[in-house]
Amino acid sequence: MIHLDRETLVKMIDHTELSSHSGEKKIANLCSEARSFGFYTVCINGGYTRYASEKLQGSGVLVCAVVGFPLGAGTRSAKAYEAREAVANGAAEIDMVLNVGALRDGKLDAVRDDIRAVVEASGPALVKVILETCFLTDEEIVVGCELSVAAGAKFVKTSTGFGAFGAFPAHVRLMRQTVGPEIGVKASGGIRNFKDAWRLIQAGASRLGVSASVAIVEGLSLYKFAPAAWLEEEIPCHFCPSRFANLDKQPKAVYAYYKKKCLACPHLETFNKFYE
Amino acid sequence: MNGWMGRIVMVDLGGHSQKEIPVDGETRRRFLGGRGLGTKLYSDLCPVPIDPFAAANALLFMTGPLTGTVMTSGRYEVVSRSPLTGTICDSSSGGSFGAALKGAGLDGLVVTGRAERPVYLYVHDGIVEVRDASAIWGLDTQKTQKAVQELTSAKASVACIGPAGENRVLFAAIMNDKDRAAGRGGMGAIMGAKNLKAIAALGGQATAIADADGYKAMAARLDRAVDKNPVTGKSLQVLGTSVLVNVINAHGMFPTRNFRGGVFNDAEGTSGEKIAESLLQRQSACYKCPIGCGRTTRTKSRNGEGPEYETVWAFGAHLGISDLTAITEANYACNELGLDTITMGSTIGCAMELHESGALKETMLWGDAARLAGWVEDTAYGRGFGAELALGSKRLAAKYGRPELAMQVKGMEIPAYDPRGAQGMALSYATSSRGGCHMRGYMIMPEILGHPVFLDRFVTAGKPEIVALIQDISAVVDSAVLCRFLQFAMGISTLSEMLRTVTGLDFGDEELLAIGRRIYTLERLYNNRAGFTRSDDTLPPRFFNEEFQTGSSRHRVVRLDEMLDGYYAVRGWDTQGSPTKATLAALGL
Repeated sequence: MIHLDRETLVKMIDHTELSSHSGEKKIANLCSEARSFGFYTVCINGGYTRYASEKLQGSGVLVCAVVGFPLGAGTRSAKAYEAREAVANGAAEIDMVLNVGALRDGKLDAVRDDIRAVVEASGPALVKVILETCFLTDEEIVVGCELSVAAGAKFVKTSTGFGAFGAFPAHVRLMRQTVGPEIGVKASGGIRNFKDAWRLIQAGASRLGVSASVAIVEGLSLYKFAPAAWLEEEIPCHFCPSRFANLDKQPKAVYAYYKKKCLACPHLETFNKFYE
Repeated sequence: MNGWMGRIVMVDLGGHSQKEIPVDGETRRRFLGGRGLGTKLYSDLCPVPIDPFAAANALLFMTGPLTGTVMTSGRYEVVSRSPLTGTICDSSSGGSFGAALKGAGLDGLVVTGRAERPVYLYVHDGIVEVRDASAIWGLDTQKTQKAVQELTSAKASVACIGPAGENRVLFAAIMNDKDRAAGRGGMGAIMGAKNLKAIAALGGQATAIADADGYKAMAARLDRAVDKNPVTGKSLQVLGTSVLVNVINAHGMFPTRNFRGGVFNDAEGTSGEKIAESLLQRQSACYKCPIGCGRTTRTKSRNGEGPEYETVWAFGAHLGISDLTAITEANYACNELGLDTITMGSTIGCAMELHESGALKETMLWGDAARLAGWVEDTAYGRGFGAELALGSKRLAAKYGRPELAMQVKGMEIPAYDPRGAQGMALSYATSSRGGCHMRGYMIMPEILGHPVFLDRFVTAGKPEIVALIQDISAVVDSAVLCRFLQFAMGISTLSEMLRTVTGLDFGDEELLAIGRRIYTLERLYNNRAGFTRSDDTLPPRFFNEEFQTGSSRHRVVRLDEMLDGYYAVRGWDTQGSPTKATLAALGL
């Protein structure tokens, strides 16, 4: 089991606010919390990069800006321009969304070149590639990771938080296995509490993109009083991507892929009897 | 002195005397205030359990070191032995009475003796006046509060009883600031037994803060956390506590018809969403509270406060009633007459099942919304069958030979979460120091709402540790004294830091948890002396023997035997549920 203290945990957190309706007040609060807790970055939309950089000056907290967010379907040059401008405004890290449609179409060169353009435009800034795993099969996740590394990205990341579902341990584990120990894996989307965070770290996440950062850190302070009890496992369906397959939100083929895995799973009968 | 006013006054209503109860710094640090210090003082004053209605019994009104400071700090705790359960009991209420009492210069007010005729107390400028209340005896709680304000100050905050308390109904509430209630356990009946109609408190003095800058920063941090948390920042504000109706119903653990079902088909019609679109006039809030979970409502004929979640359930699904107006007006009646809505509704439900089973001749039918308010009124005044409802469900069911039909623990009625749907909640009910209460250890937080982490509600492993931990944290919050809803937005570290900035005392997380454990163990010691043992740490047989056939909690029963021994071990209690000598020594008890 991984030892996790408060210092380590806060430095794994990208304290995140990406809602379209969040204004300067929310960003100011985000920065204030990040400064007070010592989170690694604040992760925000590009329009607030300069504002956040000024708020965080001298704090040691970095600014991470998202690019091509949340769909990843814009043009290569637009993504590159967005990244360049974010870095000029103070971003030390860039979280870009991969072109999910191109990946699913098998246009792998296009995907790789898209990422490479952002990496080059970001200069010294570290680039993370958001795969949006909820729209991909396991095989596509592996390919997405490989293309990201080949294009020079230093991190792969699970989700935007705006897709069908967020980060699951199974996906993080697969991503870690694919990229190896030298590349970062960021879990993001739907991480609400310490236990969610813990599971993802155990699965191989080295960074967490979360809005509930304060609650997660507070959760760690409770965890120490009954560590085994808090982490007592539950039926795995609660954190399995196959269980969350959703025809309304996923492409038909991806839905069918996950549904098939779910139907073949030995936990399904227990889940249906007692939990559904 | 930072955090505390440094004065607790004891008034003997029979002996016409007053004195200060000295409390040293170490005792304050070990028990804080509110529930903790109240339990400590009560145990010292009445170490041998006595009749709660005896003149010698003490009734304590307690504030805490955070009272009158940050958000939600207007609360107070009433401590005594419950006439309903016979256990130690503290009952908590919101509003602003706590802040007013502390602002009047007191950390606590202890009432003993019995006045020869009705009296009320007026607390101001550090003094306590005993005044004649003959003219207001018999008034309901709303008229009483208004009358006492006219007799004292329009700015005074008033806590009082209504006819139910005067008539010693075993679950009579103390009402303050219009419709806020110290509802559970019958503390209002003890006021009635003492001929004490009301207490008016006129604040003015501020609580001294040790670290003003740190306090300001912490208060701002708490503001942000409350705003950001989806429960405190959104759900409770928009929909009130009744936001839980649909949530708990969807989990198949919304008790229906005296806990014979876990899904109420008409739940939507009594939900927070329905209240918001039909009866709601505006949200209402306690002292310095940005959440504002209260609901000011209006029916066609009346207006008032409520209903909140437990009441919606107690007068709704529990009785098979889906008429939101009838539920709301029964709530108004309880507020005015001074009754605990949970025990009131649960006892009516028990009577309905007794009638259905043939054990009770009195006609009590499921879904009879038309008679609901009448039953409440009859109970408060002890009229007709109301005199039997006034006993609570345990005594009522026993009287008619079907004790198993009372859905209670240690005599207190279980509220609106069926324990078959959450094993931790079941353990929490069974081991609660005041009986069937959700507030001692609100396991719904982790088991249903996923806070601070999500725990599998059907798993028993690990639950003894978590239940004990949450019970201890809750005891600390009740002693600080703050609203429990802050627990959604605030962890133990934030509470610790808040106490440090106010009192200047550096309570680490560990020390705070030890305080909670000490309080819970002290309550247990009292209950042991009052005759409660392992055999009382249980639930009605229904929860062990009867499964739901539908809903998300179907095919489940409570597995208490898998958890109770582990719980005692975590607590350092022996196999009969008595704290061991080693535990007492470790806690300094």
